[in-house]
Amino acid sequence: MTIMAQPPTGGGGGSAAGALYDVIELILDRGLVIDVFVRVSLVGIEVLTIDARVVVASIDTYLRFAEACGRLDLTGGRQPVGLPAIVGQITEDSAERKVRGALTGASRAIADTIHDIVTPDGRGSH
Amino acid sequence: MARYVYCFTDAGHPLPLDDLRGVGADGTVLRAIRHEGLAAVVSDAPEGLRPKRRDLVAHETVLETLSAAGSVVPMRFGTVAPDDDAVVAELARGAGRYTELLTRLAGHVERNVKGAHQEDSLLADLLTDNPELRARNEALRAAGGGSQPDQVAFGERIALAVEQRRTRDAAYVVAALRPLAMLDRHAPSVEGCFVNVSFLVPSAAQDDFDAVVAQLRTAMEGYAELRVSGPLPPYSFVDAVEATV
Repeated sequence: MTIMAQPPTGGGGGSAAGALYDVIELILDRGLVIDVFVRVSLVGIEVLTIDARVVVASIDTYLRFAEACGRLDLTGGRQPVGLPAIVGQITEDSAERKVRGALTGASRAIADTIHDIVTPDGRGSH
Repeated sequence: MARYVYCFTDAGHPLPLDDLRGVGADGTVLRAIRHEGLAAVVSDAPEGLRPKRRDLVAHETVLETLSAAGSVVPMRFGTVAPDDDAVVAELARGAGRYTELLTRLAGHVERNVKGAHQEDSLLADLLTDNPELRARNEALRAAGGGSQPDQVAFGERIALAVEQRRTRDAAYVVAALRPLAMLDRHAPSVEGCFVNVSFLVPSAAQDDFDAVVAQLRTAMEGYAELRVSGPLPPYSFVDAVEATV
């Protein structure tokens, strides 16, 4: 996580520098593009982003997976992680904290307040 | 003279530019180009600018600092305008859209979440979950690894199961965090990650967001790790005017 307590300057060891690795594809591939402006060439930069599926679907990967499975020790009554049930609970919990609906309501309340200020005697068409 | 453009803001942004330095070997001076209700933060564009680590950090630091101080529309790295007049012309041309975008993004931050499986743990879980795959694995092991065609055929089944898990677990992460975000966007695929997704989160909802991330981390402990970045400038949401918020 990046924390901007002290804005680092230049290329020093600030938080942005420390966290750069995990946001580099956003810096290079997201953000506003304006047609009439030019962008610097990205030739020469290490390409970090790839289509992961291409890597998965290859003979080398199949052999590597088979070998990795062969090395696993599955003795000792291992239980599945059981993620579906656990994540279902987390998602329910998250939905209770939901902001989408709540904020829409808050925005509407603010809009109503502004509306009331603008038309204090209720001439507006509520 | 060419201008490197960092972001657009509204004229009311405090623009704490004095302590910041822009891209370039010596750290260029930042200034604002203003037009009516908008401002563009720019510096001189260095000759031969390339995406060096130093410049990426400068770009990111400027945007993180300015987005922490007010609403910004971040440019993609490496955006260069021919001169000040071109920047003013763009602020004039896009005034309506940029103003609406700044309003929509105000009070929000981007949070990025990447998830990566721990491969041995993922494979063990797949085999534990699927008796047929487990039996085939044991048969191959009993045969001293088996023939190469058998290994390839088995490995292909595993790869398919891995891909299904990647898709499933990505959906889990998105579903759990989506209620706490106004918008979400898939970020570019990154090597080794089953999910790379950005959320536009109200600043006030960040604690809730972090709490759900912590729950996910606990649930996935030993199976997958989540790496969370932010608060970030809203790189992934510069289309938020077109999107339904």
